[in-house]
Amino acid sequence: MSDLLGFVLSGLVSGALYALLATGLVLSYSASGLFNFAHGATAYLCALAFYELHSGFGWPAVPTALLLVCVVAPALGWGLDRLMFRKLARVGETAQIVATIGLLVALPALGLWVVELLEGAGAPVKPAENQFGLPGVGPSPATSWQLVDGVGVDSDQLITWVCTAVVAVGLWVLMRHTPLGLKLRAAVDNRTLVELRGMSADRLSSVAWMLSSALAGLAGVLATPLLGLSAHDFTLFLFVSATAAVLGRFASIPLAFAGGLGLGVLQNLVAGYASFADGITGFRTAVPFLILFAGLLFLTRRQRTAGTAASDAPPIDYLAGRSWARRWGPWAVAAVLLAVAFYTVTTPFWSGILAQGLAISLVFISFTVVTGLGAMVSLAQATFVTGAALVAGLLMSHGWPFAAAALAGTCAAALLGALVALPALRLGGRSLALATLALAFLADQVLFQMGWLRNGDTGWEIPRALFGPVDLNDDRAMGVAMLVLVTVAVAGLSALRGSPSGRAMLAVRSAPAAAMASGVSVVRTKLLLFTLSAGLAGFGGVMYASYNTRITATDFTAMTGLIWLAVVVAAGVRRPQFAVVAGLVFALVPHLVSDYVTESVHLPVILFGLAGLALANDPDGYCAALPVRLHRRRAAVFASPPHPVTGAPPQTPDRPSGSSSNSPRLRPGGAPRRAEVVTPALELRGVHAGYGGVHVLHGVDLAVHPGEILALLGPNGAGKSTTCKVAAGLLAPSAGAVHVGGRDATREGVVRRSRAGVVLAPEGRGIFPNLTIEENLALRLTGKDQRDAVYERFAGLAARRRLVAGSLSGGEQQMLALAPLLLRPPQVLIADEPSLGLAPRVVEEVFRLLAELREAGTALLLVEEKAAEVLGIADTVAYLAQGRVSWCGPRDQVQTDRLTEAYLGIAAPGTHRPAQAPEPQGPAPGPQASPTRGVVRP
Amino acid sequence: MLRPIRTLAAAAAALLLATACNSAATSGSGSGDGKTGSVRGVTDDSIKVGGIVSMTTASGYSKKDTDLGAKARFDRANAEGGVGGRKIEYLGAEDDGQDPAKNLAAARKLVQQDKVFAVAPMSSVTFSGADFLQKQKVPTFGWGTLPSFCGPTYIYGFGGCMVPSPGGTISQTWPEGLKDVMGGSKGKSVAILATDNDAGNFAIRTYSQSFTSAGYEVTYAKAAVPATSVPSDWSAYTKEILRSDAGKAPDAVVSVMQTPYNIGLFTAIKRTGYKGVITDPTDYDPGLLAKSATRKALDGVHVLLSFQPFEQDTAAMRQFKEDIRKAAGKDVPLNMHMVTGYMSADLFLAIAEKAGEDLTVASFQKAANGFSDTGTLVGDRAEPKGRTESFGCGALVQLKDGRYEVSSPFECYEPIPFK
Repeated sequence: MSDLLGFVLSGLVSGALYALLATGLVLSYSASGLFNFAHGATAYLCALAFYELHSGFGWPAVPTALLLVCVVAPALGWGLDRLMFRKLARVGETAQIVATIGLLVALPALGLWVVELLEGAGAPVKPAENQFGLPGVGPSPATSWQLVDGVGVDSDQLITWVCTAVVAVGLWVLMRHTPLGLKLRAAVDNRTLVELRGMSADRLSSVAWMLSSALAGLAGVLATPLLGLSAHDFTLFLFVSATAAVLGRFASIPLAFAGGLGLGVLQNLVAGYASFADGITGFRTAVPFLILFAGLLFLTRRQRTAGTAASDAPPIDYLAGRSWARRWGPWAVAAVLLAVAFYTVTTPFWSGILAQGLAISLVFISFTVVTGLGAMVSLAQATFVTGAALVAGLLMSHGWPFAAAALAGTCAAALLGALVALPALRLGGRSLALATLALAFLADQVLFQMGWLRNGDTGWEIPRALFGPVDLNDDRAMGVAMLVLVTVAVAGLSALRGSPSGRAMLAVRSAPAAAMASGVSVVRTKLLLFTLSAGLAGFGGVMYASYNTRITATDFTAMTGLIWLAVVVAAGVRRPQFAVVAGLVFALVPHLVSDYVTESVHLPVILFGLAGLALANDPDGYCAALPVRLHRRRAAVFASPPHPVTGAPPQTPDRPSGSSSNSPRLRPGGAPRRAEVVTPALELRGVHAGYGGVHVLHGVDLAVHPGEILALLGPNGAGKSTTCKVAAGLLAPSAGAVHVGGRDATREGVVRRSRAGVVLAPEGRGIFPNLTIEENLALRLTGKDQRDAVYERFAGLAARRRLVAGSLSGGEQQMLALAPLLLRPPQVLIADEPSLGLAPRVVEEVFRLLAELREAGTALLLVEEKAAEVLGIADTVAYLAQGRVSWCGPRDQVQTDRLTEAYLGIAAPGTHRPAQAPEPQGPAPGPQASPTRGVVRP
Repeated sequence: MLRPIRTLAAAAAALLLATACNSAATSGSGSGDGKTGSVRGVTDDSIKVGGIVSMTTASGYSKKDTDLGAKARFDRANAEGGVGGRKIEYLGAEDDGQDPAKNLAAARKLVQQDKVFAVAPMSSVTFSGADFLQKQKVPTFGWGTLPSFCGPTYIYGFGGCMVPSPGGTISQTWPEGLKDVMGGSKGKSVAILATDNDAGNFAIRTYSQSFTSAGYEVTYAKAAVPATSVPSDWSAYTKEILRSDAGKAPDAVVSVMQTPYNIGLFTAIKRTGYKGVITDPTDYDPGLLAKSATRKALDGVHVLLSFQPFEQDTAAMRQFKEDIRKAAGKDVPLNMHMVTGYMSADLFLAIAEKAGEDLTVASFQKAANGFSDTGTLVGDRAEPKGRTESFGCGALVQLKDGRYEVSSPFECYEPIPFK
């Protein structure tokens, strides 16, 4: 029994560190939606700083620790958020994952480089290598106490527990009992709504990153005596604590915290009682990753888009439709030149490096299959490489010829790939990435520890192939052979992309549900992608191993796979030829840098890591960014006559992006024609807007005055919600202006607009479902008396104020959204379909509330499809059809046929234009043509 | 799409054909060895030598000082007039960052770009450049803890091959030396602990045999400790170990793990009040004494080393200390990496000396065959014996009150066959 107690108690130590790291992960994830692989690196950086300041500079331990945790680490988090994470939150998941992988290697290198520089400057720093048993915050060596027989604790453990407990309480107070915590939780719940409520989500994200970074810093300082100064160990520690973040579903801090503690205990118990697994080498080592994998598989909520990251739209292919020579000519010429170079200019050393780069390119191309075509992030490619090469080596040691062994190795890798693909059927995005990483670690620690497969540390010899007269032992011949193979692979994949299977893969990538509806098997496609990619990686692995002439089980580890992914994605993962560029860069650049730039080994690593910064701007990599930028520059030169661009992507059939904003538009001078009119509270003037090149609004003019309800009617797709978004500042118009209280607010974002009194009640329910009713109210009504006033009015809410708002009925949720507004009426309320999905009686109630707001002087822009009901309260009615206001006038002038017209989508004569295929920005109908100006006030 | 594919295929075929002609015509001209007048890296008055060492790593483990050790030895050789009238031009060590790809690239750079005659020292956790160096006939000297140091004809471990292979032998320095500490092996029980991976398994296999054949009773031998990161809690392992001798604690605990693991394990074991012998093969690093936590954790531990301890006062050791001081320009704390570099360089110099003035790779290899000397820092050396077994010499030192003391003097023992 005392065994058990001992295991549990000491398990809580690593558990506490897991909890701290997992909490930080959850915080930063919920702030920006990205899984921070570099979280462990932040912890390492703080551990390093603590060691140097404390042991090197001789600063006192506790103040140094406080300085690092409370000032330095948050500053680092803030800086990274401003520089990277904020931008990354808007790009695709692959770029997010890779950018933080870059940081994972760059931050430790940065720390070591600074130490190197300080050492050069004569500062009393200590070497950061070979440091064990480092002093922590407490006494060193740690004092230990024996609680009961066999159960002891020491001061380091005690400090870890106490700090973690204090942090847990502090976090709980912060998140549950402070306005800041409330806002943070609201931002986690619904980021857009937070902005609509006038709180800057960016600023909240900064706060979350600062907190997250501080937690990492704390974990780093506390773990210094335990982990020493190994960036690698810190990162592994982080991956384990990711399990706890998964337990908390990347959203719940308490769950993640508890999960971390539990994980430490569980791990200890398994270590203590896993004697059943003594026969399996590596089982105990693999325990955390087994837990991580199982946790991901069983705890991740099934997403509809499992396995794919659909958010990253492909970049425009400016060469689509051009001739073969134009598309492939430069690549072909480059390949031929390279082949010629092998036998003319390159020295033996550079021939070898080039051959190596081409061999690794084969592996890199496999990323373009699974990640480029399939949009699934696989961190297990190194496993396929090792697996294939080991199998090939094993067979060759039994006398198999090279080609047969390579084929068998490729098949083995493909088989592994099919196995790894199984979780992909269920998981997507970061969960899949983590799951493949867990599998990669499992393979490293269990599969590749099997003696018969790995042959100890000796590994297997893989002599280079002999094809008839071609002897690949010559590096130049090897290079040319690799070049041929790479060319075949690139051509094959490009052909695949254009084939029906390739189209099916792309369909699954962008819309699995639609693909399924079109008869494409998502399961089969994903399996195929993984298998193909793994096979290719395996084949590349055999080739790469034959370049090395040997494979050992530790040549390519899971961490190698992480770096590879980063290198490929930095270049561009959409096209196989970019992977070849990545391979050559990967092989050549380190040597070029060390020959011509710097001797420091840290600087290239830092530079490589900073490629993540570039990804934040060009998420499709530098190879793809080059033509896009060139094209943009060219487009800027020829901008004046707007002309259709060849080869625009299919989604935007005709419209050149951006050109519409350039067309000069005649404005009616801003002044309403009726001089006596009161300044409108909200006015839209000639607003054009759309999404990613698809134009929805084609010149909307609207004005809402204080104390007026303007009902905006129109059929589906007319642009009602888009109008709301433009009015609220969620969407910037491409042309036209938005005035709030007579002031031009076009350039103001949603936060400033909201602070200026323009409130949008978005479609659906404008509430935070995971916050309680009380908290929902408190976000707008800070005073308790105000909230009490709401409860007085809405007894139904009062009774359930401690319940989460998501548990309310639709009508109650809408009441909850509107109630705080009644108490503090905004200048303008834009209500997007407030009656959607509500029972008729509730709709009446909602409309009554809106009328009440009107009495209080709020200008209401009310968007509705339920025309009949809304006519009962509207003062003015506007019909929106195909992106234009086709009629606007007082309610009593509304005629049934107009209403019908509006709903059938037939705009008033004279303004009718086909919305689907408009000519490229012809001059919009002049202001005179529109009958909507000069709104009549009732 | 057909036309391009046909074009590609034609181009590829043409390329391969050209390659074939060319590689047939140029094969065999890879190394500059064996031709009169030009031996790679050797001129009338100099021999070019470079090293490969893991200096920077993500794991925080570095063998940086290997470079200093080699430099110290080469400096002295040059001060004494060089080898066969030639000075050693030591290029310093390439950093391979414990990365296999970089290790091979470093070997290629030294041979193809810098054109060194030999590589010394080579000390890393990976040696993927071994096959290349062997094929290019580059004499290479380093720490023989990797299998590549066993077998290949051009690759020499400064203490011989330290990885036993079936059919080869196991060095008995550890159990034999421990007899000095424990007063014989009869009736003594030992527990051996290693990390949970293939290397750990292998260590358990060899040391179980080694200790058993020296007369100890091995009561516990498990590769059980998670290999990727140091456990924060050792109670699970200490409990099992300390009950292994029929419910009692064994007389000795033998750890075949790295320093960070040992610190954790030994601290935990001592906390239970264990009074037996604790021993490991890695923690001979006076740098560890600088920190109170490590000093306390390792206090009383007997550490195995395969060279003369710094505490042993011999002529060779005095010379070593003086050379290091000169090369560093000041007094620096000594460590085993310096010995690695120093003795790698020393073995190269000794063989080169024997090869004489007409230094070619062939004459060097000829001199190596049948080379032997005695009384060095690593004991009695002999080639080609060192290609298959270690020189079998070692000592134990015990950390006591913040100082290492020799607990079993440096001696060479007869190895046993490895089954």
